[in-house]
Amino acid sequence: MILKNNLKEVRQKKGLTQEELGTNVGVSRQTIISIERYRYKPTLELAMKIAQNLNIKIEKLFYFSD
Amino acid sequence: MNLSKKELSILIEIIYSIVFALIFLPYFYENQEKTLIIMDGLIEKIIQITIGSVIYFSVAYAILEIAFKKKEARDERDDMINSKSYKLGYLLYEFSLFIFIGYICTKFQNKELFNLTGNHELYNNFQLTEGGILFFILVLLAFTSIIKSLYQFYLYRTV
Repeated sequence: MILKNNLKEVRQKKGLTQEELGTNVGVSRQTIISIERYRYKPTLELAMKIAQNLNIKIEKLFYFSD
Repeated sequence: MNLSKKELSILIEIIYSIVFALIFLPYFYENQEKTLIIMDGLIEKIIQITIGSVIYFSVAYAILEIAFKKKEARDERDDMINSKSYKLGYLLYEFSLFIFIGYICTKFQNKELFNLTGNHELYNNFQLTEGGILFFILVLLAFTSIIKSLYQFYLYRTV
């Protein structure tokens, strides 16, 4: 099972840039890029911050895929 | 290639380690048979290294700060990359020290063998000087620092 996410789609729907989302949750733009490309798995704390900032449930944002 | 501020600061470290190895290590290599007291110009070399390092890092980081005025946030991804790269550096350093200890033990064993077999010329030629130990430790530091920084740079580009 691979941990995937809808971060890019949700972020774009909300009209936020990677830089803006990064600033809102206190990480660099590069970290947001890495999460969107599945290169980096965020900690629970960061994942919750991102979900909270995008006003979406965490399980809708991050999910397991075969 | 588009490099971030963090990646450039790692490159500054890599360049420093390589330049240090190329400029200063030959001096310690030439003097590895000597003790620290009779090493010619050791104090001058230490002063050169200190002043050179301070100037290099001051100029390099000043240029970096001018080029990237915006402060980059340090986050959990940086911590993860740093912990991975420093762990590799630490393991390499530890492994190399074990090899060095093994090398010293073998040398002492050989010395005793020379003595027992009556090979007094080789026995008298045996020496393990402070200069040799210093040279080895500096090579080790430069080597582990370069590998650690390269791995850190690789992680920043790929993670």
